[in-house]
Amino acid sequence: METVFHETTAEPRVAAVPLAHVSLELGHLYMDDFAAGPERLRAHFGRVRPWADAVTAMTAAQLPRGRPRISTCFLVDDYFTRYSSPAELVPMVLAEAEAAGLRIDYLARESGCARADGVELAASVLARLVEAPPPGSNGSRPPVREVGWMCNGERTPAVDALEAMSGVPAWSPPSEVGARRHSVFTDVELWDDRGQRRTWSCAFLAAVWQLARLGLLRHRGDPVMSPVRWAGGFPGDWDALPAVVQLREEAAPFAAYQTCSVLPNRFLDVEHAVRIVLGRVQVEPRALEQVSERAAQEGFPLPAEVADRAAYVLYSGS
Amino acid sequence: MDATGDGVRVLSCGEVRTCLLQTSASLPAASAAQLLQLRPDSGVSLSARPNLHVVSPELLTGVDCLFPAKSGAKVRGVGTVRARAVLTEGRVLQATACFRAPARGPEHRQPWGHYLVRPGIVEPAGRLEEGDAAAGFLDGRAGGVQTLDPGAVAERLIGDLHAHALLDRRAPFKSRRTRLRWSALRGDPGAAPVIERFTLADDGLRTVLLRVPDPDDEGVLGLCEDLALHDWLLTTLVHMVERSRLGSVPGPEAVAALRPAVDHLLHLWMPMVRVAAPLVPLWEVLERTPGFSAQWRILVQRIRDQLALQAIPLLRDDLTRH
Repeated sequence: METVFHETTAEPRVAAVPLAHVSLELGHLYMDDFAAGPERLRAHFGRVRPWADAVTAMTAAQLPRGRPRISTCFLVDDYFTRYSSPAELVPMVLAEAEAAGLRIDYLARESGCARADGVELAASVLARLVEAPPPGSNGSRPPVREVGWMCNGERTPAVDALEAMSGVPAWSPPSEVGARRHSVFTDVELWDDRGQRRTWSCAFLAAVWQLARLGLLRHRGDPVMSPVRWAGGFPGDWDALPAVVQLREEAAPFAAYQTCSVLPNRFLDVEHAVRIVLGRVQVEPRALEQVSERAAQEGFPLPAEVADRAAYVLYSGS
Repeated sequence: MDATGDGVRVLSCGEVRTCLLQTSASLPAASAAQLLQLRPDSGVSLSARPNLHVVSPELLTGVDCLFPAKSGAKVRGVGTVRARAVLTEGRVLQATACFRAPARGPEHRQPWGHYLVRPGIVEPAGRLEEGDAAAGFLDGRAGGVQTLDPGAVAERLIGDLHAHALLDRRAPFKSRRTRLRWSALRGDPGAAPVIERFTLADDGLRTVLLRVPDPDDEGVLGLCEDLALHDWLLTTLVHMVERSRLGSVPGPEAVAALRPAVDHLLHLWMPMVRVAAPLVPLWEVLERTPGFSAQWRILVQRIRDQLALQAIPLLRDDLTRH
């Protein structure tokens, strides 16, 4: 039976985003890297280049037909410290990448992961975190939360709680949920508040960054952090630049089925934290379905779990 | 078949808690939408025809515990319970928490991300006897074992919503909260959906056993919310008429006691309008026995008759005074 009457406010829709096969991150740039001069960037891109070629070859091998669509991106920190300006920095980054034989399709600002297009993105993702339940959780008690933190297991009971209960052993170790015999327990700080200002942690913003690259972020059904085509000169102020800038007209889509980030191994801790967060985000189910359906149509292998869609190459050195 | 490629779900269970929104005036559409905006990035679903019906985004709660079982069988389940809130005409608040289960799941607990891409599904460790679990769920907790408790999730959601700054926590009249618990099992292929049992217990608990072509059907949720809403309306009106001591106290007193019904409840009766077409016949069964709408109509008629009767002497007094 056909329904004649419709109300658009009663039938929420979720828009789809264009998708590449892989979103390849060619680097993260922080204040220290910038201060170390163009040589640091040149060395970095030199290390990245062979891995970029490997990702292209590997993706091509995974495809049943056609050419791989790989988009590259580069993230600049303008959130924790403000340094330089787009006018000064972007041409330098692009030149060093080109010298190493790499092309950067998209440039993103880290503060765009906190807030983009007028949307408090990090706060939205925070509201989508679902704690992994310890055994025995039947829904009758609210999940244990340490405000501003997210861990991968059960914490050691608080000291004051122990003192309040006499006869309780002094200490019990924290444990990782789903550990294979021995735990690797990690507690991730998601944000802190100083005065009126909330500062999101680098790890949490990096998780938002992964979700954006995986095409899984929506606000009221619309895509957010969508790339904006940019041609011509770069402004003198970071705020004048959109969250994600598309630098090349012919670039493959920004979002992709999978991500790969090539980073120096000092990022290991942060990316481990990202993986913990990604494993606890309930993404918009319709967005998840859209990505799965499209991957299936193309015959591209897509891990079911969101955290498994993010791959890394961590090279030695700084 | 869903995108994650799992086996079919054979069971859906849930609980709807229904209560009067604890605030003096009914919420208009914009405030209702604001109240149910449980997450900043997902909009509420708002429908204005034929009545104001606002549905919140869904929240997930992780669980890892035993499935309910009439036989006492111990089957561990891991996954998420999903919960949503519904506000009808800015006046009646419902919180629904539910889960669905496949007949078979992985023997060991998987990484948590596995469950988050299957929202609202609780997977058994091994094989689940769905009939046993359905009956156990409707029976309530057995033997003090902590089994899956969606009702607690729904209750917490109601509690959280009632703490919202939009509400003044001054209800226009006293009413009781009701609970409706349902289990829906997969029926034989090609068979029409049936309601096998609807039980009213005196502690405000109603239980419903359904057999449907597909327990994944979102319509089951809508049907149970609609049944719970109308059962609450009827229960509340019956209590109000009882409390008014209609027929044994002077008319004006009874009328004063019944006035909230006229102000807040009588326009809310609209069974089946939001129930998916294939499930409407299930409601119609209940309309025959016990006849929800028939009882409602009689109560409403009694209230209107009283109001009419009281209006006559008032009119006469008015006339003689001038």
